[in-house]
Amino acid sequence: MSTEFSAEAYAKAAAAAIRLPLDARHLPGVATNLALAARMAAVIEGMPLGPADEAAPVFVAGREPPR
Amino acid sequence: MIGAAGTAAAVRTGRLTAAAATEQALADIAARDGRTNAFTAVTHERARAEAAAVDAAIAAGRDPGPLAGVPYAVKNLYDLAGLTTLAGSIIERDRPPATRDAFLVRRLHAAGAVCLGALNMDEYAYGFTTENHHYGPARNPHDPARMAGGSSGGSAAAVAAGLVPLALGSDTNGSIRVPASLCGIFGLKPTYGRLSRGGSYLFAASFDHLGPFARDVADLALAYDALQGADTEDPAQQWRAVEPVSGVLDAGIAGLRIAVADGHFARNGHAEAFAAVEAVARGLGTTARIEIPEAARGRAAAFLITMAEGGNLHLPDLRTRPDDFDPMTRDRFLAGALLPAHWLQQAQRVRAAYRAAVLKVFDEVDVILTPATPYVAPPIGQDMIEVDGERIPVRPNLGIYTQPISCIGLPAMAVPIADPAGIGVPHCLPIGVQVIAAPWREDVLFRVAGALERAGIVAAPTPAR
Repeated sequence: MSTEFSAEAYAKAAAAAIRLPLDARHLPGVATNLALAARMAAVIEGMPLGPADEAAPVFVAGREPPR
Repeated sequence: MIGAAGTAAAVRTGRLTAAAATEQALADIAARDGRTNAFTAVTHERARAEAAAVDAAIAAGRDPGPLAGVPYAVKNLYDLAGLTTLAGSIIERDRPPATRDAFLVRRLHAAGAVCLGALNMDEYAYGFTTENHHYGPARNPHDPARMAGGSSGGSAAAVAAGLVPLALGSDTNGSIRVPASLCGIFGLKPTYGRLSRGGSYLFAASFDHLGPFARDVADLALAYDALQGADTEDPAQQWRAVEPVSGVLDAGIAGLRIAVADGHFARNGHAEAFAAVEAVARGLGTTARIEIPEAARGRAAAFLITMAEGGNLHLPDLRTRPDDFDPMTRDRFLAGALLPAHWLQQAQRVRAAYRAAVLKVFDEVDVILTPATPYVAPPIGQDMIEVDGERIPVRPNLGIYTQPISCIGLPAMAVPIADPAGIGVPHCLPIGVQVIAAPWREDVLFRVAGALERAGIVAAPTPAR
């Protein structure tokens, strides 16, 4: 199975999954931006991360209001 | 136009009324804003009422506040009571007017400042150029055929043109620092979580910061001091005590370890960007260089998180009225709504690891210098530019030096080179330098900017009228 990224095919499938009607006129621009995003994703894919590397946002159950 | 400090001093001592200062500013906007297209709304009635209240306070012997009678305006993503918050869109034009001012507007009101209106921006803050399809481009006061930068382009253009001494903007990936650099003024992006974003239209909340623009360091400090304060309505704000900076402007730079950033920040731009950094480094007496580790990965992480958060925020309108979006933003929002979850989660983990790596740099230095923008203001409508021998899109590259810094919330200030021609900047256009400090050390930024201003190295160049 090919793992090559087809931005247009992905856009159509993912748009259907989130009920986003994607006009054919917008598809080329969306595909261009997804391809750019894929290049950015490749940049961060190479970062050495371990199981202890948590995501930046940390949920807080509640905060003491300022006095 | 006199600056904020000068206006406030004149009003507070009775040499000028707030009403007179307001009428002068309103007349100036009417006469000259056609050249910059900075304003999308001028709030005449509100301005006159606020000015009258300041004059009444003085007549009654009450303290009118540190910004008494100082005209200012805000990017049109700030709520102004009675005005619909456009966020640069026509979609929001259908929404009801705001019922209350944004938190920072309330702070400036309490300080005696007078709000003159709302300012042009990239739609939903997604851009670095303010070439707004709906409201027209904000034009650079130094050359109206060129970009003002963005997304707070109207804010920077209004201040650089001398229409107001202060303006507020927002900065998610560079949207204060980029237009400040291209328009040749000072712009502050404080630490993430320092200033409340309450009552502003979010873009990518993980990175959204608000901050001020001014034409000199003292005015920027006056504004920043007035803007601080705790707001329980902003979930990202850290409720720190107010830490004023107006008193540190003359403190000098003794004891500060200052270095120029290498690597990512020493490529990806034109010669003028690096000449500007060298001029500032010389002025500060530093030859030290330091690497900000993983900056390119930090930028990529910010790029993806921004896309995803923006796309998610606007999904209801993307589903039902995509053609009402600015063509400059629509396809990016649509694509952002579709990103795989893995990319987003990986970006958030990279963001944390990148932050940890960069915070270690501050064991060695207190201040880092980088270019603020990779080149001077490009002509409006230009799509591509040559950098390092490669043709690349001109717009996203404008944030190449700012995006890795806001990704991890570091405080940063864009400072304008006083004499761009003197360092060989083409077309005598302005350009800025980004000064970066450790989290919560805005005071260090103001010490450095104050020293550079006293040395004549940074100052807002005056545009030809």
